[in-house]
Amino acid sequence: MLRFLLRRSLQAVLLVFIVLTITFILLQLAPGDPMARYYNPEIAPETVELIRERMGLDKPVAEQYLRWMGSFVRGDFGTSLRYNRPVKSLLADAIPNTLRLTVSALFLYIVCGVALGVASAVRRHSLFDRVNTVSALFVYSIPSFWLAFMLILLFSLKLGILPSSHMQTVGAGELGGVALFLDRLWHLVLPAFVLGVSSAAGMARYMRGSMLDVFKEDYMRTAKAKGLPASRIYLKHAIKNAALPAVTIIGLSIPFLLGGAVVTEKVFSWPGMGSLMVDAIYGRDYPVLLAVNFVVSVMVILGNLLADIGYAVLDPRISITGGESS
Amino acid sequence: MSGPGEKKSPKGPRSLWSDGWSRFRKNRMGMAGAVIVGIFYLIAALAPVLTTHDPVEQGDIPRMRYHAPNQQHLLGTDKFGRDVLTRILYGARISLLISFIAVAIAAVLGSAVGAAAGYIGGIVDAVLMRIVDGLLAIPRIFLLLTCISLFSGSVWLIIVLLGLTSWMETARLVRGQVLSLKGMEFIQAAEALGVGGRRIVLRHLIPNTLTVIIVAATLRIGRIILIEAALSFLGLGVPQPTPSWGQMIFSGRDVLLSAWWVSTFPGVAIAVTVIGYNLFGDGLRDAFDPRQYV
Repeated sequence: MLRFLLRRSLQAVLLVFIVLTITFILLQLAPGDPMARYYNPEIAPETVELIRERMGLDKPVAEQYLRWMGSFVRGDFGTSLRYNRPVKSLLADAIPNTLRLTVSALFLYIVCGVALGVASAVRRHSLFDRVNTVSALFVYSIPSFWLAFMLILLFSLKLGILPSSHMQTVGAGELGGVALFLDRLWHLVLPAFVLGVSSAAGMARYMRGSMLDVFKEDYMRTAKAKGLPASRIYLKHAIKNAALPAVTIIGLSIPFLLGGAVVTEKVFSWPGMGSLMVDAIYGRDYPVLLAVNFVVSVMVILGNLLADIGYAVLDPRISITGGESS
Repeated sequence: MSGPGEKKSPKGPRSLWSDGWSRFRKNRMGMAGAVIVGIFYLIAALAPVLTTHDPVEQGDIPRMRYHAPNQQHLLGTDKFGRDVLTRILYGARISLLISFIAVAIAAVLGSAVGAAAGYIGGIVDAVLMRIVDGLLAIPRIFLLLTCISLFSGSVWLIIVLLGLTSWMETARLVRGQVLSLKGMEFIQAAEALGVGGRRIVLRHLIPNTLTVIIVAATLRIGRIILIEAALSFLGLGVPQPTPSWGQMIFSGRDVLLSAWWVSTFPGVAIAVTVIGYNLFGDGLRDAFDPRQYV
């Protein structure tokens, strides 16, 4: 077990370095000189030289690479060109907001996906199952921002029962306690649903298939032959075994959730990393751009690591010392 | 030229393609998808014939803007008095162009990398696959947005960048196929006969993974259409005034309640097209997936 953990963690660390290298190469490939905005007749050439030196741009590429790597690993992402604030503090503001949104979506989609998938499998070929399959195909094939617009149109503008943007009502911060929590929860409903719904469809599809596979297993026949009640068979034997492979799906869904957060945050004016990223692009704020990329990738890698470890711990059939690859 | 005597007997061995095709034809959902995709291509080709309005030209804006759907404008007009239906029809062109070329780039690049990694193996395989892992660890939209902001430019640049950020799954898929094919007798026979590595890859390995590549590409087209729409939505896609579905949805954001048709119908167009591609791709996979019919 320890060896598995160690090896898997080393792989994750290696991956972080690869991501950093890719980002650095992208930055180097980009046309244009990062010093270009200092080429100005009003700025003395000596000053430009000084800035260049201070930013380490006079050093050979290899040295720049190592320095850059070192500062990123230490969590020093430089200063935002746009806000003139340390990127670190911008991230510190944005990360909790993105996590609140994505974790809610994750929770929502796991619960809904598993429930729908199981129900579909139990009542295979029923009307319910067919409606499920069709709606899964539908939500999987529509742009999330369009879904968001349609839901805002219905629930916020027509019915007026859900807020259409922002994380909380203006001034709600003073409410404190339960009222603030409820207000924030209320603002979370639409964004979390929009973000999680296509993953829920994927999960439902996967759980359905997984359940149907489990139904064919010998132990299911044994359970039936023993005369166990259906509810017990499903809960105790089928769902438990079918849900295991779904753990890896959760790991794989993390990049989708974080990627989807970009558009979802933009639609709902949610001040997370996606909004930070989009603003950084409009403002050509490269330090922020690269830092967000880095943080998001680390989240993906960590998520996959946790899912893999979770799978290994939960499923006794997998020999963790064995050499499974990729 | 085959003479009358050499005519293929109907019960003779059939090729993989005709076998798969006959299976595909029986799949109703897959066929429905194929029909939708076909209609989508027709609309893109015939847009100027199907509508008399101009997709770009702005009319008498104060009088023409935000007309609700009526007989003249079946799906209403937008902020600049342009016919929404016309812009949807023309929007099919840009969607088609972008998705098709980007997916082609991704398929070629992914196959090349996958085949090289699988066939050469060793350090080449390790390095290429780590690069794939690294690229997959950055969520696609972030990777794409970073590239777009670093190399800002035209529609063509967006197409190329979409292709360059979508090949990784295909590479993994092809690598896996090549690894399993590599051990088979016909490859060993070719190697024993002294056939060169490049020829083995191009003539033997790639053709045998072609169905997998095509199925993956078809399913990917739907995703690319959605990603392109998301880019346009964020204002980083196709530049104005070229009609693009994602951009059209975005343009109706501030008038959702008063002019709901501006955002709603382009979304329906995207949904129908992507559903078509997904059904088509699923049908192809069911028809050609060798694992199901071994």
